[in-house]
Amino acid sequence: MSEPRPAALVEVGDGAAIPVRSDRGLFTAWRIAFFGAFAALAGLALLKPDPYRAILKFVPDGIVVTFEVTLGAIALALLIGLVAGLGRIAENRLVSGAAALYVEVIRGIPLLVQIFYIYYALGRFVKVPPLASAIIAMAVCYGAYIGEVVRAGIQSIPKGQTEAALALGMSRAQAMRHVILPQALRVILPPIGNEFIALLKDSSLVSIIAVADLLRRGREFASESFAYFETYTVIALVYLVITLFFSKLIGLLEERLHAGR
Amino acid sequence: MPDAERRRIVEARGVTKRYGAFRALDGVSFHILEGEKVVVIGPSGSGKSTLLRSINRFETIDAGTLFVDGMDINDPRTDITTVREEVGMVFQSFNLFPHKTVLENLTLAQQVVRRRSPGEARQRALALLAKVGIAEKAGAYPGKLSGGQQQRVAIARALAMDPKMMLFDEPTSALDPEMIGEVLDVMKTLAREGMTMAVVTHEMGFAREVADRVLFMDHGAILEEGTPEHFFSSPTHERARLFLNQIL
Repeated sequence: MSEPRPAALVEVGDGAAIPVRSDRGLFTAWRIAFFGAFAALAGLALLKPDPYRAILKFVPDGIVVTFEVTLGAIALALLIGLVAGLGRIAENRLVSGAAALYVEVIRGIPLLVQIFYIYYALGRFVKVPPLASAIIAMAVCYGAYIGEVVRAGIQSIPKGQTEAALALGMSRAQAMRHVILPQALRVILPPIGNEFIALLKDSSLVSIIAVADLLRRGREFASESFAYFETYTVIALVYLVITLFFSKLIGLLEERLHAGR
Repeated sequence: MPDAERRRIVEARGVTKRYGAFRALDGVSFHILEGEKVVVIGPSGSGKSTLLRSINRFETIDAGTLFVDGMDINDPRTDITTVREEVGMVFQSFNLFPHKTVLENLTLAQQVVRRRSPGEARQRALALLAKVGIAEKAGAYPGKLSGGQQQRVAIARALAMDPKMMLFDEPTSALDPEMIGEVLDVMKTLAREGMTMAVVTHEMGFAREVADRVLFMDHGAILEEGTPEHFFSSPTHERARLFLNQIL
């Protein structure tokens, strides 16, 4: 209980994913990038149909897979992160120790290595399709990062809140559920949004284990057509459109959450 | 009713609390009778808050026995939540739940802990908000209230559980001077209605007016115990005299 509270931890981020709410002008960086990328894709398809139309027809299957990996992984990672975050602050030493060990180990291994490792290590015992293996690897990795966000978010809520809940006769679990977590959620949503965008981008790594995501589809097309420059231009622009779309969505969600007060 | 026939809601013997080598409570014995108002005063760091917080086990004690409403607080098998349901607490810093409206602050524990229906909880909450003079703020969030209003809501929130006794831990110390009166008035009303109260405070006027008994603490021990008349006019202990000279 006497542990110093790293309240500032939650606020720290590179700010890359979430648009700054202050830029509200007509020509914000977000708008220039988002609509510029759209215009570039449309322009290329119109002005240079070969090979751009062919590329644009080929990659949408990969977008679907990228979404599957991202959404599957973030859902699982949030679950793991909640358990890991609660585990880190548990009074039981064994539980908090196990959670801390998980976080340290996972954060110390590159994601690409984890994706390889889980695919081949799991493959030795059970037959897991690459897609499922990819989702598990991403979730295990991001669960550790989100766990730290959850822990910092919970610890940023003043101790008096827990005391007030306990004084009313609530159990620790009830206090957590009704008093602490709802308040922590407001604090952790922005960094969780950052993690989601980072995960979306990192999902391109799963193309290494034969998951036909956006990047993989691009590689397949390029290796047959030898149009490497054109293909990766499209891939980069599509990723940009997707990440910018979601960062805007998260920004709006966050705004609504704060407007609710 | 003669004191001997009244039930002892709190019964403490030789209660000791250590932080390392420091003794926050050094073998303290005291009791609180049903319906009694006990005011604990003393310099800061004297152990008065620790004493109060040991009653609902916010501080675990290292030695001694402490019974509350017949339950052994120091026995790890005692389900402390059942004790806390019966012992309301009001904090210096209010500690209202900022993500819930004033009304929800009052209904939450009623529903979650007392298992009252939403309608029943709401009815009880609105009655109590009216009682502390703040019914019109039922739908507001605590952040929109003044300190005095927040503390009155906090008192109502504790009362909504229908506790057998109330603990007040310096309830007016964080308030602007012009708001102290409204909070003390609510507490005086409560006292008149017969609530059992243990109050840690620096408000000597309140102690004089409301207390049945005053405990004076210093260095983790109760040095002086008696009626306010006795304590304020002829304290026997030197340190109590010094303390009174400083603050009066």
